[in-house]
Amino acid sequence: MPDRRETLTWLLRALALGAAPAAHIDSASARQACGGAPAQPDRLGAAWRGDRGYGRDPDLLHPQVTWALTLTAQQKTAIARLADVFLPEDGSSPAASAVGVPDFIDEWVSAPYPQQQQDRVVILEGLNALGCAAKEPLHTLDAVQAQNLVAGLHARAAEGKQPEARFFDRFRHICLIGYYTTPVGVAELGYVGYQPSPRFAGPPPEVLTRLGV
Amino acid sequence: MATEPFDVIIVGSGAAGGTAAYVLTSLGARVCLLEAGRYYEPGRETPMFQRHGAAPLADAGTPDKPFGFYDATVDGGWVLPEEPYTTAPGTEFRWFRARMLGGRTNHWGRVALRYANHDFKAYSLDGLGADWPFTYEEFAPWYDRAERMVGVFGTNEHLPDIPDSPPGCLQPPPVPRSYERLVIAGGRRLGRPVVASHEAVITQPLNGRLACFYASPCLRGCAIRANFQSPTVMLAPASASGRLTTITHAQVYEVDLAPDGLVRGVHYVDRLTREHHYLAGRAVMLGASAMESVRILFNSRSARFPDGIGSASGLLGRGVLSTPGSNVWGRFPQMEGLPPFNDDGVVSLPHIFIPWWLLPEQRAGRLPFARGYHIELYGGRTEPSAYTFDQFNVVSPLTYGKRLKEEARRYYGSFVRFSQRGEMVMRDSNRVVIDPQMKDAWGIPGLCFDVRWSGQELRQTAHAQRSMVEFIEAAGGQVVSPPPSDPRQAITAPGRMIHEVGGARAGADPRKSVTDSYGRVWGVPNLYVIDGAVFPSSANKNPTLTIIAFAWRASEHLRKYLRKELPHA
Repeated sequence: MPDRRETLTWLLRALALGAAPAAHIDSASARQACGGAPAQPDRLGAAWRGDRGYGRDPDLLHPQVTWALTLTAQQKTAIARLADVFLPEDGSSPAASAVGVPDFIDEWVSAPYPQQQQDRVVILEGLNALGCAAKEPLHTLDAVQAQNLVAGLHARAAEGKQPEARFFDRFRHICLIGYYTTPVGVAELGYVGYQPSPRFAGPPPEVLTRLGV
Repeated sequence: MATEPFDVIIVGSGAAGGTAAYVLTSLGARVCLLEAGRYYEPGRETPMFQRHGAAPLADAGTPDKPFGFYDATVDGGWVLPEEPYTTAPGTEFRWFRARMLGGRTNHWGRVALRYANHDFKAYSLDGLGADWPFTYEEFAPWYDRAERMVGVFGTNEHLPDIPDSPPGCLQPPPVPRSYERLVIAGGRRLGRPVVASHEAVITQPLNGRLACFYASPCLRGCAIRANFQSPTVMLAPASASGRLTTITHAQVYEVDLAPDGLVRGVHYVDRLTREHHYLAGRAVMLGASAMESVRILFNSRSARFPDGIGSASGLLGRGVLSTPGSNVWGRFPQMEGLPPFNDDGVVSLPHIFIPWWLLPEQRAGRLPFARGYHIELYGGRTEPSAYTFDQFNVVSPLTYGKRLKEEARRYYGSFVRFSQRGEMVMRDSNRVVIDPQMKDAWGIPGLCFDVRWSGQELRQTAHAQRSMVEFIEAAGGQVVSPPPSDPRQAITAPGRMIHEVGGARAGADPRKSVTDSYGRVWGVPNLYVIDGAVFPSSANKNPTLTIIAFAWRASEHLRKYLRKELPHA
């Protein structure tokens, strides 16, 4: 696994300057293709390493994200393009970017906790690889280009190629959490609880019939 | 509010300490309660209607809040930087703490099952571990008191492993949820019981508390006091008596033994100011949590007890018990694509469970393990959370786009986790000692754990894994991931189920136990251990109800003792 700072530096460079096209998008060749910029302090790395979590006694009635968000506008735009391919508008509910999934991913990958830090590496490494594969900087992709890029990513992930497979899995997973814990997503899944009631009625007759009980 | 000198000093405000504070103040004693954590008020602090999505990281667990942002655990978790502990080489022990008024009763899963007589007398039946110093019949009156005060829903099913409660103890359970009905039907096909769970949640008003209104997860606590938490159910009436003084941030580290052989007070450090204090009392009760109470005993050294109060038998710290646990996930195609309906019920707590059904076979020696387990069920159409898609990733790993959204709708709510809760056989080799090097942030010597599963727990877990597969299939489901062939890969680490007990076991013989049947440390008649430390065995039933009943019984005993043998009290 590449050094975090290196990954971030490639990514910044890839997104800011536009990545060169590459025939292969595995990690090692991506490093070569993108020029392997020398590791140097960057504001992303500096920002999250110094941050702390919400602590063991946060105010539960007024939830707050206590860490600095670290993605750039271009990174978030790139994430929005990809997230909208994973969770598009489909006539039943809007696309991921319309319900704030890119902001959620920023919150997630900027968090100082181990799972999130691990995901940060996976997400940024994957974006880097995708950036190298794309003919245009990711944030400038249109919907069709993004669709094609994810199709290629899916093919590589299906073959178990890394880093695409783990990026596909974690990016999708974080998108799903971010999407389906919004009011829109909760309604979309058909969760209709949180209704204070003097008694619990149990499932309705039509459901019991479907279940055969 | 009472002032010094107190009749009783109680260390810890959770299930044990809260119960003792309630019982003793109601019997007229003047009590000082010492709690290591901060003051906590569920009525004011509980995030009852906050949705997962409004919390950082959608309420996913973090090292700061392992059970999620909203979980009713304050200044706690698995790893507390200020309060380290160690484990023997090659062993693992997970030790969950909470530093708040009410301790872990706030977060508690609230399964409240009575031990049966064979649980109290298991050694007599199979020769393993140790007996409790009383029978079920002798102890049952305190289960009755506990259930009536705590408020427990459940039913009497006349099952061998689950004693019936007298009339007036149990409240009516809620009807089963959708997936729970599938499992009931599956149990019927297998000829195995699936019955109402016993949970410390009220479905009818009790002692001024409102009944459950079936919204908002219990593990966050309950602002309307429908579930059991020590602060709302035990400490509120204790406080109203005018005879309770509570000191928070008070980390007790030593019990003070007087030359006459009685204890006369405790030393504690204020965790905020780091100042050391001494508090005098006529009797002391330790309810600091099993392992913390053992640690205080170890750290209370004197000429008479050079290795700590209660160490005369050599058993202090020995016989630490945990709960073997493992999971199998099932997916239920019948639950896919159902129309929206409210299946919340008592949010996050099971309405039903599978009690241990093979007691006769086990007693006849036909099973390769000595003690039983029960199975709990979690899942279905809960509020979408950071965990909703954990199993989804297994069944639909590579979808994206419109198909991903279709599959999210289809699979949502169709997963159920079957979860084993077993009994561990007590062994003296499983123990805690004081780590010779390590101290906590306040300079108090800390614990080293040496706790290992034996073949007993591993064979039980292998059986439970197979049983859970059978239940899933009998209920019309499919196993998401097949059980591993080695039960070591299925069983959770010792401590992980947060049921650690033992280390200062009660018994009838001073040579074979640390306390008498009331939790009184042998040879120190005014020092009681009232929490899980006294357990000589830990049945497959979650320990809290038994801790409450034991603390209640000990408190009544102490009140009589104070009147008779310390008449000035």
